[in-house]
Amino acid sequence: MLDLKGVARYFGGVRAVDGLELTVGDGEIVALIGPNGSGKSTTVNLIAGVFPLSAGAIYFRGEDIGGLPTHRRLQAGIARTFQNIRLFGQLTVWQNLWVAQNALEDRARRGFFARWLGGRARAREEIFQLLEFSALAHKQDELAANLAFGEQRRLELARALASKPKLLLLDEPAAGMNSEEIGQLRERILSLRQRGVTILLIEHVMELVMGVADRIAVLNFGQKIAEGAPAEIQADAAVRRAYLGGEA
Amino acid sequence: MLDILQAVSDGVLFGATYALIGIGFTLVFGVMHKLNLSYAAASVGSAYAGLLVLEVMAGAPAWLVFLCAFAAGGALGYAVYLTCFHFIPLRSPLATLMATVGMLLLIDEVIVHATNGMPQAYPAIFDDVMLRAGAFTLRGDLLLVFGVAVLCMIALMVLLYRTRLGLATRAVSQQSVAAQLCGIRVGQVNAMTFVITGLLGGIAGALIGASVGALSPLLTTPLTVKGLIVTVIGGLGSIPGAIVAGLLVGGFENVLQHFRGVTERDLYVMLLLFAFLVFRPDGLFATKGGRD
Amino acid sequence: MDFYFGLAQLVGVHTLLGLSAYIVLLTGQVSLAQAGFFAVGAYTAGMLTVLAGWHLVPALGVSALVSAATACAVGFPALRIKGLMLVVATLAFGEGVRLFFFNFDYQIAKGEVKVGPLGGEGFRQIRFFPEHGWSTLEVMLFIWCFVLLVMALLWWIDRSRYGAALRAVGEDELAAQAVGLNLTAIKVSAMTLGGGIAGIGGGLYAHYTTHIEHSSFNILVATFALAYPIVGGLQSVFGTVVAVIFVQAFLIEGLRDLGDWRNLLFGALIVLAMNLRPRGFLDARTLASLKRVFGGGPRA
Repeated sequence: MLDLKGVARYFGGVRAVDGLELTVGDGEIVALIGPNGSGKSTTVNLIAGVFPLSAGAIYFRGEDIGGLPTHRRLQAGIARTFQNIRLFGQLTVWQNLWVAQNALEDRARRGFFARWLGGRARAREEIFQLLEFSALAHKQDELAANLAFGEQRRLELARALASKPKLLLLDEPAAGMNSEEIGQLRERILSLRQRGVTILLIEHVMELVMGVADRIAVLNFGQKIAEGAPAEIQADAAVRRAYLGGEA
Repeated sequence: MLDILQAVSDGVLFGATYALIGIGFTLVFGVMHKLNLSYAAASVGSAYAGLLVLEVMAGAPAWLVFLCAFAAGGALGYAVYLTCFHFIPLRSPLATLMATVGMLLLIDEVIVHATNGMPQAYPAIFDDVMLRAGAFTLRGDLLLVFGVAVLCMIALMVLLYRTRLGLATRAVSQQSVAAQLCGIRVGQVNAMTFVITGLLGGIAGALIGASVGALSPLLTTPLTVKGLIVTVIGGLGSIPGAIVAGLLVGGFENVLQHFRGVTERDLYVMLLLFAFLVFRPDGLFATKGGRD
Repeated sequence: MDFYFGLAQLVGVHTLLGLSAYIVLLTGQVSLAQAGFFAVGAYTAGMLTVLAGWHLVPALGVSALVSAATACAVGFPALRIKGLMLVVATLAFGEGVRLFFFNFDYQIAKGEVKVGPLGGEGFRQIRFFPEHGWSTLEVMLFIWCFVLLVMALLWWIDRSRYGAALRAVGEDELAAQAVGLNLTAIKVSAMTLGGGIAGIGGGLYAHYTTHIEHSSFNILVATFALAYPIVGGLQSVFGTVVAVIFVQAFLIEGLRDLGDWRNLLFGALIVLAMNLRPRGFLDARTLASLKRVFGGGPRA
């Protein structure tokens, strides 16, 4: 599904991501973990196309997408959420999902005007399903800015799903959540996998990572220092050093 | 050749006033990330306020007029802060922008109302002094404009980089939330920024009045435009940029006025701005980073 | 009665000017170039009816197209800059257009007199309405046909997904890209539409005043264009109309008896309005309660 080949991003002299190799297979849930500043979020931004690559290449379903602008990558099937929630605050919950649907319209069949200006009825059904999935149906006419924190997180996930992505990039989706909410999030992520969505999860919260990930890759100083099944990673000495510091 | 040199030097000297106006825009932008469109109008307004001295005391010396304009500038700066920034929530940047436009119109109209729209003679200093080198001359009043402007810039730099208030100002401009957590009262710093830029504006207005010889409400719009152009060419938020750009624009427009006449002059200034926007969109001295 | 028809003409033209800024503001672009597009439309339509002898309606169509093309050309470089840089750049563009017309001469002899734009003198004798014997009422209705047409178009856009996309871009460009919106297409198309609307407004303006000159398109006009939608509120096109009526009919005409003081009050009231209603007269909450009063209006 996704192949990172020697991906690098430099900010001035800082090597935020440095020669990263990572593969995410079809239907897999891969978690990317690492201490603060290890380059996790930069990796997500590189895959989503927020920054250009300094070196390396990104292949998505066999195609090099390294040079595509962000919206073209979404149309190719890569959706994301943000670490610090970025909703359209002055749009309603419903509109947030509606506007995100535009990428999945069948371009060949429907003309420009139909795509942009019409087609409410067909879109409606899918939005209702998303609202149900995110437990937001009762808030559909609320402005996104007025939602509670947990609801905003759920809406952002729903918005990412509105374009029916093949690959979902989740950037710290559990940040600021309590343990009950994390449990619900885990259920949602697992049910997405059953629908065939591949997921790259960036997360600090080990409770979530260990519960859902098939494979874990560990970043430190922009480089991958370990990769393997959750149990292997828990036992890995290099990972412990990265998290706990020290030379031991 | 000599007349070009003459045009450049006159323009650069007068450009010092553009630099002062540009500094005002850029400083407010740097600290609050907001545009104060009433700034040039307030500067002209405070220069007018300086004339009040002559009303009270006929034949008062020119420096007293200047001092009064300086003080009025500070007061007007604080008034603009209160009316356009203090009470409007940060999340409504358009409302702030519009309020400063309202303030611009208000100040303009107060001037027109008070003077019946007639240009007012402004006391000049050193207007009879001419430094000559062959056919090349330096007008004494323009030299004074330049000198005072440079003094103001030095004073501003000292204030920003050598005092506690300046440190607080720079802290707020870089990370206003972090500055707040360190116990800096952001509101107070913002207000002080407006007072300081107001003081500068008062001086700039008075200098313009002195070197043109008269003040007119027609000055505010071109001055606003020139000040904004200077700000952009210099790089938003950069004080040295505003200074260099002010002198550059002053010299440039005077040369083109010399060759193409006053009606076409500003057209070329716009083209200069577009050239910068295309080839150097961050301006001469772009301030990088720290802005999220 | 003619006074009120004249006032309605003025309100109509200014509404078009405000709406041209409205759609651009939705995408978060603060543009002071609208007066420039307005000027391009005014001169184009005027030259077509006076110099080429066209009927006004096709002339307005062409002026809309020319202004839209100008706006499209401005829209692309404007993508590179944001926020305050854009304010200054568009302001400079508007001033550039004004200065262009300040230096623009194109006169031809028509019978005894020469007609056409003449630099600082301006463009006089745009006499389409008097020549065709239209009454003030007819001119007013003609103008409002266009206003209502444009309002209907924008109202419809606002309720379409395209409208939601415009607002999404205005809210957060990064997130908008992340949900698959093409920033270039959306911002430039909004700018182009705004230019077209300003072009129609400018064409109508040139014909009802019969005399335009460069100073009719100065920065003040550009700031007014921005002021209407901001003071009125960006939640709906009706906010812009309310603001135009407030400014033009109430502040400028209604307070005429106050003489000189009216102008003083004008700026002060804008400052006051922004302090009291930072999101405009018709903000989300007001609109919601209006809908409740008028009984379950359409859901946004």
